[in-house]
Amino acid sequence: MENIVNDFTINIATANGTGSQSANLILLQSLFDMGVPVSGKNLFPSNISGLPTWYIIRLSDHGYQAPGNRTDVQVLVNPATWAEDLAALEPGTVVVWNENSKLEMDRDDVISYPIPMTKIARGINPKLAKLITNIVYVGALAEILGIEQSALESAVAKQFKGKDSAIELNTNALNLGREYFRENLAKSDPYRVESREIETPQFFVEGNEAVALGALFGGAQLLSWYPITPSSSLAEGMINWIPKIRTNDDGEATCAVIQAEDELAAAGMVLGAGWAGGRGMTATSGPGISLMQEFIGLAYFAEIPSVFWDVCRVGPSTGLPTRTQQSDITMLYEGSHGDTQHIVLFPGTVEECFEFGWRAFDYTEKFQTPVFGMSDLDLGMNRWACAGFDYPSENMDRGKVVRDRDVFEAFEEFGRYLDVDGDGIPYRTLPGSGMAPILYRGTGHNPMGVYSEKPHDYLQLMTRLRNKIDSARDQLPAPILREENECEIGIIYLGSMENTIQEIDDILESTGLKVSQCRLRALPAHSEIEKFIERHETTIVLEINRDGQLYGILRKEIPINLVPKLRSVAYSDGMPPRAKIYADMILESLKEGSQ
Amino acid sequence: MSDKPARAARPVKLNVINEPKDSYTGGPSSLCPGCGHDQISNVIINAAWENGIQPHRIAKMSGIGCSSKTPAYYLGQSHGFNTVHGRMPSVTTGAYAVNKDLLYIGVSGDGDSASIGIGQLIHAIRRNMDMVYIVENNGVYGLTKGQYSATADIGSKKKKGPINETQPIDLCALAINLGCTFVARSFSGSKKQLNSILKAAMSHKGFALIDVISPCVTFNNNDESMKSYGYVKENEITLHMTDYIPHFNPITEVEVPEGHFRDITLHDGSTIRLETISKEHDPSDAVAALTALHQAETNAKHVTGLLYFDNTKASLTEDLGLVDKPLIDVADDELRPDKSTLDKINAAFLG
Repeated sequence: MENIVNDFTINIATANGTGSQSANLILLQSLFDMGVPVSGKNLFPSNISGLPTWYIIRLSDHGYQAPGNRTDVQVLVNPATWAEDLAALEPGTVVVWNENSKLEMDRDDVISYPIPMTKIARGINPKLAKLITNIVYVGALAEILGIEQSALESAVAKQFKGKDSAIELNTNALNLGREYFRENLAKSDPYRVESREIETPQFFVEGNEAVALGALFGGAQLLSWYPITPSSSLAEGMINWIPKIRTNDDGEATCAVIQAEDELAAAGMVLGAGWAGGRGMTATSGPGISLMQEFIGLAYFAEIPSVFWDVCRVGPSTGLPTRTQQSDITMLYEGSHGDTQHIVLFPGTVEECFEFGWRAFDYTEKFQTPVFGMSDLDLGMNRWACAGFDYPSENMDRGKVVRDRDVFEAFEEFGRYLDVDGDGIPYRTLPGSGMAPILYRGTGHNPMGVYSEKPHDYLQLMTRLRNKIDSARDQLPAPILREENECEIGIIYLGSMENTIQEIDDILESTGLKVSQCRLRALPAHSEIEKFIERHETTIVLEINRDGQLYGILRKEIPINLVPKLRSVAYSDGMPPRAKIYADMILESLKEGSQ
Repeated sequence: MSDKPARAARPVKLNVINEPKDSYTGGPSSLCPGCGHDQISNVIINAAWENGIQPHRIAKMSGIGCSSKTPAYYLGQSHGFNTVHGRMPSVTTGAYAVNKDLLYIGVSGDGDSASIGIGQLIHAIRRNMDMVYIVENNGVYGLTKGQYSATADIGSKKKKGPINETQPIDLCALAINLGCTFVARSFSGSKKQLNSILKAAMSHKGFALIDVISPCVTFNNNDESMKSYGYVKENEITLHMTDYIPHFNPITEVEVPEGHFRDITLHDGSTIRLETISKEHDPSDAVAALTALHQAETNAKHVTGLLYFDNTKASLTEDLGLVDKPLIDVADDELRPDKSTLDKINAAFLG
């Protein structure tokens, strides 16, 4: 039997609220510390305790981060999904199962490793048996796969920082799990892990924490938020970091945090801060953005800087609150009633989460318009490898704010919405300054900011707003291109699909198809996007939703002669993207197109 | 004055910061002639002037509705924000968080505050945000032409449709129960009383709610009244002016001595009974304030004056734990931690 090294997928089926998350993170961290390229996906329910949870760990020397196309090693702990999980396995799968669960192991075409997890756990501490059970399977897996003891122990120490009794208890459980396998079972599977030399030291971090840090390095002055999965950890990340990096010696903060009564109020506070001259932001998810629509329109029309982070989950409605999707693209880009268009940033890595975290404020103040960051549950709440965050490369751009009277006096005529420079971006003064005070309004207004229903004023305003946003496209993050010389097939994708695209590319290449990759990082789309489409014979727009939202936007905006070159491949079942599904759909789409 | 010879020019009266009252005025009103809201605007102008507040250090906030249009008619030297319906408190909260040194005066209506925005009002009270919150309360939706609001009294009658049978929300009682630190009720025609309440509210550290009864000249009326919209319209039928708005004079000024009540005749011929809360009322006693409100309601009266006051509670400023100077005055390099801070964070992550 040939060994399969660092190239398989582990699926761990537990119930939430049983401490399995700690156990799984220890497993992930220990693999990571051995230098094994690894990614973890937490598939958790919208529930506090007792519902099924799966944790998927992908080991891949290729660097593939999507869940694999099949499960190679299955850990069965949760009786509730036992039969279902078991039935789904392909022959030859390794099954590490809790012998004490009183459920039958009725597959004889798999490699079966029964472990008396509960019994071992009870032997250590009967009261904590449920928690310890999870650590026992980590110990057994470590023995089966060859995970280094030192890596395991350091991961335990990281997980339970300084809590000596917890460290001792968990190490004990790990060792007993390991020993049980060694003494009672014989390895008959091909899966092994091998340590790899670590060229660049990396750490694990969640996208939400990266945005939180980025925002604080972006000079955020107000976070107003309403708790919602999967964005709460973004707000909580800021709350956690403010005392450490945004306070003076007396512990007084330079960033206010207000937990609002709802998302409408959260948005209102962001606008209030922007109106007053501060950097305000909120963090939410799709349902929150739905509630914020009215304020988004006001921010666009009255030109109020405001930053909104949307960590996307599965819609519509309450949808699947703990599953991932890229389904708010249209809502963000065209948010609120009336003709609108907004700047949307799509980070695809945790490094970009940090970068766009601070850049969002520069864009919103520069263009005096709402700016959205869109990540998703996968990028936001799962842990991703990161080599470190780069310090902001540019000074803060506070935009066209007139703060000094001398500067103000130099204006021949000052109007809040007067297009002095011809770039569609007007100048503003701040409340309290005494310079050119106006009553901001969501009603029609003329260049002086005075109420107007005159057709000319309305038309002029709406045209300027369109030109203003349009002029932003090439000043926003440019797409990341990885092009083939052939230029036959191009794929435009965005956001967290970054973690799956290379595997999709390799699957397509294995069929003889060479594809170029183009990761869109902002809307309105950079002019490079149009050129990319132009260069390639066919371009697939690949996204994690049902309707092909980005495809719809691009189709509307690119020259009509390029439209026939575009194909939509959109798919979402709530699970993190699996490469094979998308690769197959792309092949199918190309086949249809050639007929 | 009349028996003295007229002088060519009278010296302009200045306040303590040497500003004439003109520095506090705004644009011309586009509300219905005679609207009580305009009287409230005048009181805002006067109170700010008398209090000697620098006009540009005031922020005028409002939602949507007739009342919320009024910031255009006062304090022309102040920035303002006419936001969205019922959401002025949250916008004010955000502005306040980054610039706590401005005096925030919010103007709202009964639709804005008692219906669509009641949640935001409640939570602004809960946070004890430093602001003056004036409700110009007329019991109807004026801009959409006369629907009942949530403060309309039982038995109110409009020219079409049924009599209002739904019980009203008393914003003052609500605010007292929520622990609001300054709760007052007044009447748009009681300029002196409103002026002194408003001046006190402007000096209050915390949330000051002033519910001002401000009858609608156009829609809060009934057909039986000789001065009602319907009556006038019927009698002007030959003019074919279907959008005719009768011109009323503002309600005559009325000041009711403490502990007394007086009946006020409204534009539609109906009367309301205003009672000024007595000298003996202890505004720190929430139970007494609620009792006064309930007794007034039972006797079909509106009790006015400062009902409740508490200056011991922390305001939002203290809760936020921010640096002393307003956040908008914090320099960019203080807002962005330095590179060594990020280096340390990266190193700590690497472990």
